[in-house]
Amino acid sequence: MGAARPRPRLRFADLLDETLAGVFARPARAALTTLGTVLGIASLVATLGISRTAGGQIVGRFDELAATQVTVSARTAGSGSSSRAAATLPWDVELRLDRLNGVVASGAVAEASNPGSLRTVPLIDPQNVTERLVPVFAGSVGLLDAVRGRIATGRWFDAGHVERRDRVAVIGADVADQFGIDRLDRQPGVFIGDEIFTVIGILDAAPRDTGLVQSVIVPFTAGQDRLGITRPDRVVVETVIGAARLVAEQAPVALNPNAAEGLKVTAPRDPARTKDAVQDDVNQLFLLLGLISLVVGAIGIANVTLVTVMERTGEIGLRRALGASRRHIALQFLAESTAMGLVGGIIGATVGIITIVGVAGSREWTPVLDLWLPLAAPFAGAVVGLVAGLYPSVRAARMEPVDALRAGT
Amino acid sequence: MSVVADPDLGEEPREPAGVVPVVVLDDVWRVFPTDPPVEALRAVHLRVDPGEYVAIIGPSGSGKSTLLNVLGLLDRPTGGTYQLDGIDTAALGDRARAAERGRRIGFVFQSFHLLSYRSVEENVMLSELYLGTSRRDRRCRAVEALERVGLGHRLGFSPIRLSGGERQRVAIARALLGEPSLLLCDEPTGNLDSANTAAVLDLFDDLRAQGLTILVITHDTEVAARAQRRVRMVDGQLAEVA
Ligand SMILES: Nc1ncnc2c1ncn2[C@@H]1O[C@H](COP(=O)(O)OP(=O)(O)O)[C@@H](O)[C@H]1O
Ligand SMILES: [Mg+2]
Repeated sequence: MGAARPRPRLRFADLLDETLAGVFARPARAALTTLGTVLGIASLVATLGISRTAGGQIVGRFDELAATQVTVSARTAGSGSSSRAAATLPWDVELRLDRLNGVVASGAVAEASNPGSLRTVPLIDPQNVTERLVPVFAGSVGLLDAVRGRIATGRWFDAGHVERRDRVAVIGADVADQFGIDRLDRQPGVFIGDEIFTVIGILDAAPRDTGLVQSVIVPFTAGQDRLGITRPDRVVVETVIGAARLVAEQAPVALNPNAAEGLKVTAPRDPARTKDAVQDDVNQLFLLLGLISLVVGAIGIANVTLVTVMERTGEIGLRRALGASRRHIALQFLAESTAMGLVGGIIGATVGIITIVGVAGSREWTPVLDLWLPLAAPFAGAVVGLVAGLYPSVRAARMEPVDALRAGT
Repeated sequence: MSVVADPDLGEEPREPAGVVPVVVLDDVWRVFPTDPPVEALRAVHLRVDPGEYVAIIGPSGSGKSTLLNVLGLLDRPTGGTYQLDGIDTAALGDRARAAERGRRIGFVFQSFHLLSYRSVEENVMLSELYLGTSRRDRRCRAVEALERVGLGHRLGFSPIRLSGGERQRVAIARALLGEPSLLLCDEPTGNLDSANTAAVLDLFDDLRAQGLTILVITHDTEVAARAQRRVRMVDGQLAEVA
C-alpha cells in the first residue's frame, strides 16, 4: 500500500456553483444581509467622488487675480496710541523685488494722513471750481503695474519724475470726473492742501486696488517733500501663477533684511490647500460614517453567515459524509459571505456613483471620478465579506461530522 | 460467506490468495470519554466480504450507529484496527479519511439528508462533488443513478415535493453515485410506511444482485429478514445470528 494518499478535491467552477446555490437559496435574506455593505460602500464612494468633484470645481473657479498677488505691510508693535511699525518698508521695492523669481511687478504705496482738501486751479476753468476731500497716495514707479492699473489719458510718472522730485500727480478717473478734468494738454494743476501739483495722467482702472481710482497719486519723493509722507504702508507684488507662496516667503527678507519678521505678508492660499480644506471638513465625517456602515455591514454578514451555518448543520454533516474535507466546508461558507460582500460592493459602488452624478448635476458641476474608485469598491466589499465569513467558516469546519449529521436532520 | 466478484475492486491491489474483504474489524473499541465513560463498542470483530448484504439488529443504545460511524470513517475507534478495502484506516489523516469516505462509502440516513433548496438531480450530483469529477460526468451519472432507483422522471423536482419513499430512493441514488465499496444504511426505512419500505427493500435486493456490499442497521425484523446475514449488537458487543 505505498500509493499516495488520495486527497478530496473541489473544482473551482463547482465551488462557484455551490456558492451561488447557497446564496440564492434564501434571496431575501441575502439581499437584506448585503444592505449594510451597500450603504457603507455607497457612502464611501459618494463621499470620495463628491469631494473630488467639489475639489475640481474650486480649482476650476480659482481666482487668477487673487492667486498672483502678494502684499507686504509693516506689523504694528504695541497697542493703542503707542503702537508703531515693527519694521519699516523701503521705497525702492522694484530694485529689491523684481529680480526675485516669479515676480512680475512690484510697487510701494503710502497714504497721506492729513492732505487737506483737493482743489483745482480756479484760473483754468472758473465754472468748475470745487473743493473736496479726496484720499491722496504717494507711490513708487512700479505701483501702476503692480496693481494692474490702466492709464486712460496722459501717463504715469517715471523714474525721472521721482529723481527730480517733480510735483506731478496722477488722478483717478472718478476724481477727474468730479473736477471736470478730461484734457491734459493744458497741464492742469490741482492743489492738495496748499501744495500745487501738475496732473500728468488719469488712472482709469486699478483692479488690485480699486480705491486708487477715487484718489490722487503722487510720486513718493514729492509726497515726502510736500505731504509729510515718510515710509510706504504697503508693498504690492504681482507674481506669475503658482509663484505667490514662494515670493511671499522671500519678499520680507528682500525688503528689510534686518527686520523681516516685523513685516506682515498676505498671500493667497494655494489651490491645493483650498481643496484639502474642503475635504478635511465635511468629508471626514462622511468617510467615518461610511467606514462605520461597513463595519456594521460586516457584522451583519458575519451574523447571518453564522446563523446559516447553524441552520445548515445537517448539510455540513452530509457534505463531510460525501467526502468534503474541513477546508472544503470552510471554503464554501467563506465563498458565500465573500459573494454577499462582493454583490454589496457592486451595488454600493453603483449607488455611490449615481449619487455623485446627481449631486454634481444639481450644482451644475462636472462630476469627477477616479477610475480606481468603481473598481476598488467591489473589491472592498468582497474583503468585508471575506473577513466577516472567517469566524462562521471556522465554526462550520470544526464541526464533527457525526455530531453534525445527528444534530441536523 | 458468499464470494462475489466485485467490479468495484478491480483497481485495488489484491492479496494474491483471494478476495480482499471490504471490512475487517479486529478488536475494535469505541469509548466515549464522558463521566463515566461509555463503552459504545466493546471488542468488536467483523468481516464483510464483497457482495454481502448484512443486517445489524439490536436494541436502542446498543452501539449500532457508533459502529456505522466507525465503518463510514466518520468516527475513529479508540482501540483495535479497521481495514477498509485492505487499507489500514488508522494510518489515514483527516483529509485522507475524507477522500476515502467520499470514494468508498455510500451513506443512507433515516432522515434522508436531502438539501431542500436543490433539485433532485443536483442532490444526487453532490455525491461526486468532492471527487473532482467534471460536472457533466456527474450529471450523466446522476441521471443514470436516478433511473436505477426508478426516479428518472423526477430530475428537476424539489425534494420537498417527493414522498418519503421517493426521498429515500433519491438518497440511495446519491449513495450509489461514487460507485462505493460499501453502502451503509442507518435505519433506512425508519421513516417510511410499509409500501415505501417494501420498495426500498426491493431496491436493496436489486443492488445486492448487482454485486454491491450493503450493511443495514434496522429495528425492523422484516427488513432484517431480507438480508442474507444478520448480526446482533448488545451492549456494544457484536454476535452473529444463526
Ligand atoms: N458522542 C457521544 N458521547 C457520549 N456517548 C455517546 C455518544 N454517542 C453515542 N453515545 C452513547 O453510546 C451508546 C451507543 O449509541 P448508539 O451507537 O447511537 O446506539 P444505537 O444506534 O444502537 O441506538 C449509547 O449509550 C449512547 O448514549
Ligand atoms: Mg442509532
